[in-house]
Amino acid sequence: MKPTKHHETNSGMQRTEATIGAMDRILAAEEEIVPSSGFATAVMERVCEEAAAPVPIPFPWKRVAPGLVLVAGVFGWGARVAVRFAWPALHELAQNPPHIPVAAALSLEEAGWVVLALAVSLGSWMLSMRLVRRSGMM
Amino acid sequence: MEVEQVLAGDTEAFEGIVGRWQGPLVNMAWRYCRDRARAEEMAQEAFVRAWRGLAGWRRESSFSTWLFALAANVYRSELKRFPTVDVPLEEIAEPASAANQYEEMAEHRRHEVLRRAVLALPMRYREPVVLYYFHEMDVGAAARTMGLPEGTVKARLARARELLRKRFPHLNESGATRTNAVLRRGGEALR
Repeated sequence: MKPTKHHETNSGMQRTEATIGAMDRILAAEEEIVPSSGFATAVMERVCEEAAAPVPIPFPWKRVAPGLVLVAGVFGWGARVAVRFAWPALHELAQNPPHIPVAAALSLEEAGWVVLALAVSLGSWMLSMRLVRRSGMM
Repeated sequence: MEVEQVLAGDTEAFEGIVGRWQGPLVNMAWRYCRDRARAEEMAQEAFVRAWRGLAGWRRESSFSTWLFALAANVYRSELKRFPTVDVPLEEIAEPASAANQYEEMAEHRRHEVLRRAVLALPMRYREPVVLYYFHEMDVGAAARTMGLPEGTVKARLARARELLRKRFPHLNESGATRTNAVLRRGGEALR
């Protein structure tokens, strides 16, 4: 009798299962290794070293705090000055919008396309990296 | 319990934990790298990290689950820093069949090649295989050690087995069967 496709598929599946069964038997029957005699001693030596090591010095927040306050103050003052000067300028700009020549407007449009192209490139690079990572190659 | 003693400041009590868990941790490391000296180094690092992080064990899971998960993290990062094998799976050949008197030796070698081939799998597939067989084919325990859902581990395990099965299609045949098959094929070719 000629073997049918169904029979061939069945025997293929049986072969696959048998191979996986053999793989399970081999990988599950791993011989146990015994740690060397000095292993526990070596671990305890390292643990004792760690225990005897001085406690790490805590971060000197008390000393750093005034400096941090000073830096925050400088930045705050800078921001306040920037707002004070920028606000009237922005207000004036909104009332009298500058006249942009045609050539400049065109170059702005081109720049927009460049930005779009860069964004698309970045997006595709990020997608490909993600796919490579998911496939397990990295 | 030793853990409480260690947390109370008794460093020597940690020796009990080392004594109890050194075998499993060294064997687990061995399965990750198949290098005895390195396995002991990695297990030692895992114990030191366990000692440092013992206070962080929240007792939501058993001590063994916490310890195995911590060890798996240590081994994973160690092997990322210094990988064990750089031979791709495609380059590992299934050993040829041997004559009957060498069958046992050939069988042993075949098994060893398969075990080493596990290390050639990408890490995302290798780790489920290592931990599944380490935990005596318990998917749940492997998933807990990896901190992943069981479904994910099952899927990765299936993919890993498929990769290995494709690499070793004649695993289920004994040495003698394989020799006979080769002889039969040779005979047919001569006819």
